[in-house]
Amino acid sequence: MNEKNKLATISWSLVLILALLLPVFCNYDKYILHTGISIAFNIALATSMWLIWTLGFVSFAHAGFMGIGAYTSALLFTRLGWPLWVNMWLAAGMAAMIALIISIPLMRTRAVYFFMASWAIGEVIKRIFAYYREFFGGWDGIFDILPPKLSIFGLKIDFASRVAYYYLALVFCALIVYAIYRMNRSRTGMIYWSIHEGETLAQHVGINILKHKVIAFTVACFFAGLTGALYAHYHTYINPKTFDIWQSEFSLVHIIVGGLNTVAGPILGALILTIVDELLRPTGYYRVIFFGIIVILTVLFMPGGLETIPDKVRSLVNKFRNNRKEAPADAVTYHR
Amino acid sequence: MSLDTFTQMTLTGVNLGLMYALIAIGLTLIFGIMRIIQYAHGELFMLGAYVLYYWFAVMKWPYWLGIIASAVIIFILGVGLQVLLFRPLHGKNILYSLAVSMGLIFIISSGGLIGFGTVVRGIPSIIKGGVFIFGAFFTYERMVISTFSAILIAALWFFLQRTTLGIAMRAVSEDPEVSSLQGVNTQRIHWIAFGLGSALAAVAGCLMGTLMSIVPTMGFMATMKAFMIVIMGGLGSVVGALIGGFIIGFIDSFLTTIISADVAYIMGFMAIFVILVFKPAGLFGQQWE
Repeated sequence: MNEKNKLATISWSLVLILALLLPVFCNYDKYILHTGISIAFNIALATSMWLIWTLGFVSFAHAGFMGIGAYTSALLFTRLGWPLWVNMWLAAGMAAMIALIISIPLMRTRAVYFFMASWAIGEVIKRIFAYYREFFGGWDGIFDILPPKLSIFGLKIDFASRVAYYYLALVFCALIVYAIYRMNRSRTGMIYWSIHEGETLAQHVGINILKHKVIAFTVACFFAGLTGALYAHYHTYINPKTFDIWQSEFSLVHIIVGGLNTVAGPILGALILTIVDELLRPTGYYRVIFFGIIVILTVLFMPGGLETIPDKVRSLVNKFRNNRKEAPADAVTYHR
Repeated sequence: MSLDTFTQMTLTGVNLGLMYALIAIGLTLIFGIMRIIQYAHGELFMLGAYVLYYWFAVMKWPYWLGIIASAVIIFILGVGLQVLLFRPLHGKNILYSLAVSMGLIFIISSGGLIGFGTVVRGIPSIIKGGVFIFGAFFTYERMVISTFSAILIAALWFFLQRTTLGIAMRAVSEDPEVSSLQGVNTQRIHWIAFGLGSALAAVAGCLMGTLMSIVPTMGFMATMKAFMIVIMGGLGSVVGALIGGFIIGFIDSFLTTIISADVAYIMGFMAIFVILVFKPAGLFGQQWE
């Protein structure tokens, strides 16, 4: 187990180093950096959605909360001219506050009903953005959300450059993932998984289910709002369609293909599927078909997702080794 | 609001409500009996409409036969999907069936865009003309289609209440273990229910396709409506689906006319949210674990 942990730490550090060095490797190629930024956003979204899953349910309102973050930040920037550095915390706070208010009645529902109720919330959020034209810009969305500038220690960084924004997105993505990883490894995470495994039992050993559900939902939406603010200032343009149900569905697909049991799942899923998605972009509609086939095949033939591959490889290797060692023993039993 | 607008809205509401109920009853059957999330229900609705389009508008074969053909083809497709994809997932976490049906949405709707093209098409009307009722214009076509949906729903109700197969289906939806102890072949009931639900969606697709236009992406709208209705009425409840269908139909008809389509959506979802908060299993639903 310890050796396995060490291996995991090494490989994740390697991934992080590779991500940090990516701009150098790809020779500051704008397209690859754009893909990198998209991957960072997708990972942040999928991981925060996975945090809700650790309590045993799936929220389809997640993209909606990302939208709340994006709109808050965009409106504060275009109306008041506040910089992203202030806005993103306010955006995340706004998403968390709305999540907190909504989640208290929402948590009365369970299983499929929760899934549907959260779906309704996501859709309402999107339609409200679309309906109030004067305030939210309607279906046309909001334009000119400029990336921020930063000057510290006499160093001036303009985040309109792809490389700078790539590092910004990477830092926040890593922070979100790390926060969720620590949360999952802590006592709180254990409580969440116990609620996942058996709600009634958890209640009987004295866990306040409602409190934990509300807190987890709020925290996840906080991260989604943060991601949304970063998203808005990167794309400089947002409209309600960006934050509709499909965004949540894609995040869910990332989690399912990646794996449901550890935080590695959403990361791997978002990473690999975003790359595959970009590679298939020239094929048009076939890309979506391919996506669908991947999802169905994963669910039917590899229900644990991509994260189970290392374990499978390890057990295969072990089996192979054992077979070789035990071959003479087998021969003896055969002759007897 | 004048009387004629009111009558117009009521008639449209009834018309929409019946067709929404038709889609939703199919979904609620699948839900209640198999206990999976069939998120791709609207895609079968779309395919059903296209079968009728190719049958009637392209091949010029008879209209009503086309509806039957569409129902039969989608029934077979539904059974195939159930046996291949959904049977292995029975009894597992609902997330898996959600994922598989999501994959189906991706495949079918994009496949539709490739196969059928992105052009908006229409199925030509079979009955022309209309009549004024209290100052509101109501086409004969809408009348025939509403009556047809009502008859279909009544027939389904009779089937579920009176025939052996229907009673077996309700038994499985009530308690799978006990009904299989009583000699009900639950596997058989599962594929029949799935096929039947899909066929109902296909028929609804044919009827709605005749009244409105058809595009390969229209499936998602149907899924959305069907889910709203089913959740409102409660999973597995046919009566709930009928009532929910009328609620959503009336909200759509009235609010779209008076204010706007966005408000109709918002109010529809608000209605669901409020119902779920006060009755967490819908109006008439079963509570799942």
